[in-house]
Amino acid sequence: MTQLRSLWNVWKGRWVRLFVGLILTELSVCSVFLLMGQTGSRLGLIAVGGAAAFGLLRFAGGLRVILRYFERLVTHDATFHVLADIRLWFYRQLAGGAAAGLGFRRSGDMLSRLVADVQSLDSLYLRILVPLAAALLSLPIVILICLRGSFLLALCIGLLFCLTAFVLPALMARLSYRWGPELQRTQADMNSQALDLVGGMRELRIFGQEDVATERFLAAEEAFYRMQRRRDRAMAHVHALALLLTRLGVVCALCGCAGLVFPKEQAVMGITVLFVVMTALDNIVDLPRAGLLCGQVLHAAERVAEATAMPQGTPDEGTLPAPAGHEIEVRNVTFGWTEDRPVLKNVSLRLREGERTALIGPSGAGKSSLAALLLKVMSPGQGSITLGGENIADVRTEMVREKVAWLSQASHLFDDTIRSNLLLGRDDISDDAMWAALEQAQIADFVRSLPDGLDSWIGENGSHISGGQGRRIALARVLLSKAPVLILDEPGTGLDAETERAFLSTLNGLDRSRSILLITHRLTGVEQLDHLWTIQDGSLTSRSL
Amino acid sequence: MENFYSVCFSFVCFACICLRMKADKKMLKSWVRQQNRANRSATLLLALVGMFNVLAGMVLVWNLAIILAEVLAGGQKVGMSHLFLFILASVARIILGYVQELLAAASGEKARKRLRRELLARFFAQGPALLRHQHSASLAAMLTDRVEALEGYFARWLPASSLWVVAQWSVVLVVFWQDHRAGFILGGCCLVLPVFQAVFGIATAIASRRQILALNRLQVRFLDRIRGIATIVLSGNAEKDAQGLGQAADELRRRTMKVLRVAFLTSASTDIAMIVALVWIVIDQRHGLLHAGSVHQMAGILFAVLMVPEAFAPFRALSAAYQDRAQITNSGEAIQKLPALPESMNQVVSGQAVPEHTRHGIALDVRGVSYRWVNDHPLALDDVSFHLEAGDVAVLTGPSGAGKSTLIEMLLGFIRPSQGEILLGGADLQTLHPSDVTRQISWIGQKPVIFAGTLRDNIMFAAPEASEDQLRDALEASSVRDYLPLLPDGLDTRLGEGGFGLSGGQAQRVAIARAFLKNAPLLIMDEPTAHLDPATERDILVSLRRLLKGRTALISTHSSQFHTIGETKRLIIERGKVTVQETLS
Repeated sequence: MTQLRSLWNVWKGRWVRLFVGLILTELSVCSVFLLMGQTGSRLGLIAVGGAAAFGLLRFAGGLRVILRYFERLVTHDATFHVLADIRLWFYRQLAGGAAAGLGFRRSGDMLSRLVADVQSLDSLYLRILVPLAAALLSLPIVILICLRGSFLLALCIGLLFCLTAFVLPALMARLSYRWGPELQRTQADMNSQALDLVGGMRELRIFGQEDVATERFLAAEEAFYRMQRRRDRAMAHVHALALLLTRLGVVCALCGCAGLVFPKEQAVMGITVLFVVMTALDNIVDLPRAGLLCGQVLHAAERVAEATAMPQGTPDEGTLPAPAGHEIEVRNVTFGWTEDRPVLKNVSLRLREGERTALIGPSGAGKSSLAALLLKVMSPGQGSITLGGENIADVRTEMVREKVAWLSQASHLFDDTIRSNLLLGRDDISDDAMWAALEQAQIADFVRSLPDGLDSWIGENGSHISGGQGRRIALARVLLSKAPVLILDEPGTGLDAETERAFLSTLNGLDRSRSILLITHRLTGVEQLDHLWTIQDGSLTSRSL
Repeated sequence: MENFYSVCFSFVCFACICLRMKADKKMLKSWVRQQNRANRSATLLLALVGMFNVLAGMVLVWNLAIILAEVLAGGQKVGMSHLFLFILASVARIILGYVQELLAAASGEKARKRLRRELLARFFAQGPALLRHQHSASLAAMLTDRVEALEGYFARWLPASSLWVVAQWSVVLVVFWQDHRAGFILGGCCLVLPVFQAVFGIATAIASRRQILALNRLQVRFLDRIRGIATIVLSGNAEKDAQGLGQAADELRRRTMKVLRVAFLTSASTDIAMIVALVWIVIDQRHGLLHAGSVHQMAGILFAVLMVPEAFAPFRALSAAYQDRAQITNSGEAIQKLPALPESMNQVVSGQAVPEHTRHGIALDVRGVSYRWVNDHPLALDDVSFHLEAGDVAVLTGPSGAGKSTLIEMLLGFIRPSQGEILLGGADLQTLHPSDVTRQISWIGQKPVIFAGTLRDNIMFAAPEASEDQLRDALEASSVRDYLPLLPDGLDTRLGEGGFGLSGGQAQRVAIARAFLKNAPLLIMDEPTAHLDPATERDILVSLRRLLKGRTALISTHSSQFHTIGETKRLIIERGKVTVQETLS
């Protein structure tokens, strides 16, 4: 429930819309009662030979159609507002907290799952709250109408109504909440087996293990379906139970009509009550399914709230403006992602303005951690880092990132045009500047050769272009940022050796106003460096060239 | 004149594109039809149960009508048999609904399983060459998410769409039989339904399809933004980008609401048809009801009124399942995009030839081999020939894109040469059974795939029947043993997704241990040290040197360190041709 509260805060701004939607829903439900009640009473009146006017019946019919139309329109409009709000809220939360760190942990899958979770939050209003509120508000109306029959009948119908509309959905929500993690675990297991099966196709073929792997994947599928069957069966049971309860209600109303068990009502009144009860109970019979959904939404809300919570060790914002210079000095820094395992031990390093420096070392030696520290994604446990003489802990985070740009294998290429990929939302950059950056990254000729030039679509993660071209577009984006310090974190990963060499030699042509820190596990020989550092087991050694 | 030609040309181009789209659509349609056919028996069974449900509904409403008529006629006694039948029919409906729900779930499961096995068969028929065309993540998503998304289509849409016309019109017919005038009114209102659908539907269907597309695009864009959020945040543009995202969402909402305003008219028309039928029948029947001679006659009229919601229920079920229908097109399109099976892969092989190998390794003879990946593209391999004696260690170099990987995939049997032949131990690769080929070959790639499972599983899968001694030797020779103490649970450490991560060098040693265990006479390596730092590369080379003993090897690499590994042959391949081939002493 605490997770739902944070969502409620997002929704607060839209409460008028949401509330109007609920009111219209309720009015629309009332109009059905009026319509069916009128149908019953008119039929009864004619049959017993009384005079019957049909004005109200016609009115109820018209009202029903109109109210239903506007109810849908308003609730959907509200849903769309909320949908956009939730996405923006999630985006801002992530951008403000954990996002920067995500660049250093590969977690694409986790993010996709989170996006699916955000998506499932959409159904909270339209498919859970609206029907539940409608049921809550129609309960007193139904009881009032039943009271005109007899007290006993009102009591029975009220009881059955509450069981179907509130108790069963709550049970269902608890059940699906309890099963949720297991269902998700088996599905995740199936997904990872599928990835193993497809990604490891070469290994499996060569070692003749295709059948074994297929069997394992199908076993994971079966485990997932077993859980799904359990859920489906429970759902079928609950739905049958809901049907049984509502039918029981109809039988009660019918007995009231006929004077069996319940005190005999006047014929016309009895039929009116029967029609209203039938309609009301029909409307709530699907609520237990909404309960099932509710359990899923609760889990999704939990995961989203967890992901957007601020992680430990995030540096403070800082207040100082950007310093004039951009010499970087790291002094006696010790740092670890967890307390007990320092990755960097008492590291000192200097990157003068315009200097070309490389930092090499095996994977896991703490190279990327150093990049995270320089970008103010994390703050060092001990020691200090200065930029142009100012401690970066005091400088505003965005100012640090204006001075220090980052390019790595994890730099994302968006499923968009080259232009949008270069701009990333900025609107103060001319085409000339973009071409100049592309020229520097030595990709301008290729972009010019494309039929749509800057407006060419590059596909999901740059799938329409080659790896080397993608890396160069990412470089052009970094060059466009005017940041005087470039940190290139393993820019060659995923490129074949020749493309990597060609890419690295582009760096030699960059003008000398920028300083470059190249972080890599090996040198290719084409780099022109002023200085070289090696890192081993968290300690830095300087190697002059 | 030139202008005229260019206009003609562009028209022809446009026509070609249209035809091609139409052909794609046709293929998609036939695929969907094939899916429907495969699921037909389950669909029919579900529709049958649904039909029984409708019949039970008729019994239920008929008895309800009689009870009400008796009450209205002022009779003091209500027939208990009718009340009993009413309750019985109610219970029957509940049971039928229950059965229907379970059957639908089972049918959805069965269909998904069938489709998944179909896809698996297709993947394996294509083999690892498939990974050249499509990313493994998107292929895996096809096996999992794409198939799962079809649950509603098989469980709900298919039965609902095959049932609704029959169910609706059998209700109308029964009402007609009881009371002709009421039957006409109900029938008329039901007939109007498709007309309403056509009037509001066609325009909105096109527009709403576009909206669904736009919504999907927004969803994809959001996912893409979230995945790359670190890049945006570190470039300092997060707030600007958030505003852009907000604008796009707002724009989508305004456009969607414009469409929904009309689209909801379609569903309002269903409401109108039902309410008109209800009100009309009530008003129309007032004289009949007033002058009804018997309880039975009165019951007939009440029956007609009470059946109105039943007549519209099947259509509502259909509308509710409509969104499930869109999924089949999405999944179908993705599956259609899988490359077609190359013809050569379907050839049946006799499997009679047996490759010969000595204790030094196996001979490999490549004769005039050519290959092309895509029809219009240049040859990836152009008349390639070379020969390796048993025990030869050949180092293969050349710029990337020259055809090294193509050659290796061909030697591994993933693709077959369009021309020329490859002899392995004197036997033509084409005539060998694929499993006989892979039995002779071990392979080490750039980055070995580490499967979800323990380290032991990951090594033993190369030779499941290997003994503990053999495993110990392989661990020793590949130097996996050196880092075992660093792992939390030694050989039983869980690796892969959600498990312990191995470094590049450690993973490559696993691949070497696999090759030791498999003990095949031919060893093929594809840039085995491309992702390693020089120190690790040197360590790996020591293990590789041990592995090469007594085997023929072909090593594709960019690293000069391999020239010290004991190479006996040097091959250079450029633009699909072998340009240098020298034997070293």
